[in-house]
Amino acid sequence: MINQLLNIVKPKVTEDFKFRDTEFEEIGIQLKKEIAGIFGRSLAIREVDSGSDNSPEIELVNLTAPYYDVERFGVSFVASPRHADVLIVTGAVTRNMEIAVKKTYDATPEPKFVVALGDDACGTGVFKDSYAVVGGVDQILHVDLKIPGNPPSPKDILKGLLALMEKIKNP
Amino acid sequence: MDKKEVIGLLDGNTSEGCVSEGCGGEFYADVKEENFKEIINSIKSKSLILVNLFCAENFEGYFGFTLFYVFEKRGDRNFIILKRRIEKDKTTSICEDYPAAYWYEREITDGFGVSFRGIFDDQRLFLHESYPADFHPLQKSFTNRKIEVKKTILPQEEYGFKNVFGEGVYQIPVGPVHAGIIEPGHFRFSVIGELILNLEVRMFYKHRGVEKIAEGKTPHECVKIAESISGDETIANSAAFCSAVEKISKIEVPERAIYLRTVFLEMERIYSHLGDLAGMTVDVAFPVGASPFFILREETFRHNDMLTGSRFMKGIMDVGGLKKDVSSEALSNLSVFLNKFTKRFDEALDIVRSSPSVLDRFERTGVVKKELVSTLNLTGPVARASETAIDTRIDHPYGIYEKIKPSIKVMGEGDVKTRFEVKASEIIDSANIIQKLINEMPGGSVNSKYKISDGFSLSVLESPRGQNVHWVYVKNGLVDRYKVRTPSFCNWRAIEHAVIGDIVPDFPLINKSMNLSYAGTDL
Repeated sequence: MINQLLNIVKPKVTEDFKFRDTEFEEIGIQLKKEIAGIFGRSLAIREVDSGSDNSPEIELVNLTAPYYDVERFGVSFVASPRHADVLIVTGAVTRNMEIAVKKTYDATPEPKFVVALGDDACGTGVFKDSYAVVGGVDQILHVDLKIPGNPPSPKDILKGLLALMEKIKNP
Repeated sequence: MDKKEVIGLLDGNTSEGCVSEGCGGEFYADVKEENFKEIINSIKSKSLILVNLFCAENFEGYFGFTLFYVFEKRGDRNFIILKRRIEKDKTTSICEDYPAAYWYEREITDGFGVSFRGIFDDQRLFLHESYPADFHPLQKSFTNRKIEVKKTILPQEEYGFKNVFGEGVYQIPVGPVHAGIIEPGHFRFSVIGELILNLEVRMFYKHRGVEKIAEGKTPHECVKIAESISGDETIANSAAFCSAVEKISKIEVPERAIYLRTVFLEMERIYSHLGDLAGMTVDVAFPVGASPFFILREETFRHNDMLTGSRFMKGIMDVGGLKKDVSSEALSNLSVFLNKFTKRFDEALDIVRSSPSVLDRFERTGVVKKELVSTLNLTGPVARASETAIDTRIDHPYGIYEKIKPSIKVMGEGDVKTRFEVKASEIIDSANIIQKLINEMPGGSVNSKYKISDGFSLSVLESPRGQNVHWVYVKNGLVDRYKVRTPSFCNWRAIEHAVIGDIVPDFPLINKSMNLSYAGTDL
């Protein structure tokens, strides 16, 4: 247990990260500026899994974990599509999820943007010719940005979000 | 086990000529339709556990359907597989004796069109309402292609959930799109107030047709498909597939490759369990306690990247070994990381264990009773937390585990706290195993030249979630039938029992404590 008195006297030191990624931090700060300009300082993202192999989801969760902590740049992941600005769709859209993805898209209020995350969602990937799969997300929704990768790393996802901001500014 | 024992187990209902040993050490017994019910009775009386049930068409010259029933005898190394040839596309179900068989049988009905008399629930399993009726994708007559699906679904075609009636009882449908960043699945709760009376799980929203697209490809091409079944079981699934092919073609995997494969398998176990511990702590609203686990998990991902070039270790596994070697620099970095790992991990555990509010949420929540383990074939940490000492690495050893035995922790309460402790002890054990492997790492090449022979084999290994069963049938050098059953397929049934009597807000916690793969179930 920490001695409360020592806490007042000694300087507070948190754990030192040896893996600090300066490139990630720079992209993050740029993203924060763009979000402040376009989305009024808060970008609400709703993630929809339409049939991925769960690795893009893990990378998105890693974005919110302490190492990357993307919420400090103004990005938050929301529970309801009705609160969302951007829909991130992962996975090649399976026949069983087709209706659910469309309903989620319809429930999102305008203005909305769709990002396809991962090779499956972009229409490449091993499942693209399967009977059980529609293909990429662009087969059923209008996609504004594709982020390829199997899965894309958290840095790639952040670069993708920055590219989305550029696209929104210059349609 | 030997052939005589197998015949003894089946009470003499089969003869010496009908029992053969497979490439992976399993025993196949051809059973006749007239003796089938008796054989199932004798198997049940000897407490054998149903591990898998699948179908293959046009197997070894028989143009109809052959059903394979895979059984395990506790304490015995070898699996027993009953081969049942069926005449037409109707046969009898074994649900009366093995209730857990009905998911397997519904899967066979969807895939092949074989109907089972006496099954409890004959609704479609992995083909949801939009697929046309009489569509059976795994039949040889259907070549993989895009199909027309129904645009509208009538109310009478909708999936029927069990209804619970009473004053004040209502249903909460959750999913398939969930509130967090998680995979899709549907949970239908019947609730009174906050207390859960019944839960029905409906999966297969992510059915991508893994087994069908594997057919007709070379084993080398199929490795990528095996990796894509479930992202956080990449190594477990691809190692099981490669191991089955290697057993069929009698390929000798170089020693260095075996050591490295085991390092990857244990790394996967570490990052998977770290994610569970973090998720459980977040679900009880204690993010301070979860953060150290997230930090360690991110560092594990980065070490995966240094070892193999991919954070999920994709693209490294190959038939006959590995696609490329791992640098000694990456291995020594990993060794340095693991040296400091135990102290940091113990500190993180102390934070969680000394929080009374977390313990209050964890204890006595989501209890999985011991009797369910063998009935539903629960495996992995879920079983070990319910007083059942099973682990494929010890019961059916493979690779390095013949020499290096992992130590497993078995606890009795079966609640969330017990699963937390079991996973924590497995992480420390895996870290120790990897250190041992790095210290004893042999040199040499990591792949070998090979020629693919025809044949079929079972391959069973312990993924982070439990027992992972793959069966591969190679014909004319190409994969003719690939059956995958990840541990999540069996473990999902446990959730329906574990939540009864708990409140709805406990459900995310119980779900996370079992951490099942939706993608691994749905294929």
